[in-house]
Amino acid sequence: MNNTFNNLVIYNGYPLSVVVAILFHIFVLSVLLYLQSNGRTDVLNLVQPSVITALFIDENPQVRNEQNRELQRLERTEQERLNREQQQQQQIDAVREKEEADAAAQQRAEEAERERQQALLVEREELQRLQEAQARLEREQESLENQRREREVVDAERARQEEANNRARQAEEAQAAALQAARTESQLVQSATGLIQQIVQENWSRPPSARNGMRAILQIRMLPTGELVEATITQSSGDPAFDRSAENAVYRAAPFTELQQLPISIFNTNFRSLSLIFEPEDLLN
Amino acid sequence: MNEISVLQLILDASPAVKFVLLILFFASIVSWVMIVQRWLVLSSATEGVRSFEQRFWSGMDLTQLYKEGSQMQKEEIQVVGLENLFRAGFKEFMRLRQQGSVDKEAIMEGAQRAMRVAYSREEEKLEKHLAFLATVGSVTPYIGLFGTVIGIMNSFLGLATQGQATLQVVAPGIAEALFATAMGLFAAIPAVVAYNRYSSTVNSITSSYITFSDEFSSILHRQIHTT
Repeated sequence: MNNTFNNLVIYNGYPLSVVVAILFHIFVLSVLLYLQSNGRTDVLNLVQPSVITALFIDENPQVRNEQNRELQRLERTEQERLNREQQQQQQIDAVREKEEADAAAQQRAEEAERERQQALLVEREELQRLQEAQARLEREQESLENQRREREVVDAERARQEEANNRARQAEEAQAAALQAARTESQLVQSATGLIQQIVQENWSRPPSARNGMRAILQIRMLPTGELVEATITQSSGDPAFDRSAENAVYRAAPFTELQQLPISIFNTNFRSLSLIFEPEDLLN
Repeated sequence: MNEISVLQLILDASPAVKFVLLILFFASIVSWVMIVQRWLVLSSATEGVRSFEQRFWSGMDLTQLYKEGSQMQKEEIQVVGLENLFRAGFKEFMRLRQQGSVDKEAIMEGAQRAMRVAYSREEEKLEKHLAFLATVGSVTPYIGLFGTVIGIMNSFLGLATQGQATLQVVAPGIAEALFATAMGLFAAIPAVVAYNRYSSTVNSITSSYITFSDEFSSILHRQIHTT
């Protein structure tokens, strides 16, 4: 017993202590990391109640725009389909006409030949060789004609396919561009709406009579400079003080100079008139 | 963003906080080295006191005991604690006696002085590093606090540049800052506990040394006066 302790203390126990201390720290660190990675702390869902929400009136022009665009796109594709069908029909017609014409020509040639045969019946024996030669020639001609016709049909088919491919590609590109434009537009609109909401909310001082569940809807009309033209209460909350406070908030928040940065087209479609819903959801009573 | 691991937090910390964390981590490691080393030394010292007292009071001849100790030293086994005290006193006593010194009081005084020197050496050995533990225990919370204050300051500065104050902007900075305090406490608590425990152990061991040296000198006194 004494010996083992003496041995430990020979170097004053430093090597062992260093090893133990480092092992201890590694252990503590690994436990910490393990617990951290395992015990996923529940994410606190701190959803702030939205006190004011903006609504685009006129059944929300943005949505309507999108619907319109979608409709137009559908119409365009329908139109294209119709066009394509018509063209196909025309091509088929042309081929058929050509075939008919060929057949008629052939018939006529045959009739002429028969007449000639009848006329030359007397000298048939002499002319038999000639006739045979002629018939051979005709047959050759006919086969040549057939080949030409086939080639034409194949070419026409190929051209038609290429054209269809081109059209499809163009349509896709147009669609992608439209989508991109719509996305950036909706982003702009959203950020601008959020800004307006925030500014109005900051300027809104609720009266003491405000209660949860109250709801006032204000329609505001703006100029592209962000100035407020007018604000009218379209749906009263039933509490005049509350309505007035909402109105005051909008007037105090105006002008919304941030709207000047928006492209005029977006402003016209979305921000000429805007509905703001005032709802105190975060009150305790 | 939801998943913030501690490691990520430390890696993303600002340089000042990182530096503080590094200092605290090293302080913690060194203090644990001291804790383990002191534990080994002190427990061996307690064990040494117990076993030597057993041998001493077993009625063994003192010369024999001294020779055993010399033998152990020859075998390169360190002689510690109480035995050192005994050997120092006994050696001085025998030497003075062999020199034919007549003054009994002078012999006693010499032996006691030698024991006192050995005692202070032994005490020094026992109390080594305890001051370091005390320092770590009292200072690391402040270092951690310093890191926290710096971290929170940084996160508030970041908040000032941000237009909007959201929880997501401040929270990581504050968590990282609080980690410095946690680290400080992590280093300090074991150090304080160990310091308190070890200083009481050192007290009990040194008091047993003093008692022993008194007893031994009384034995020597008896021996010198009976002959």
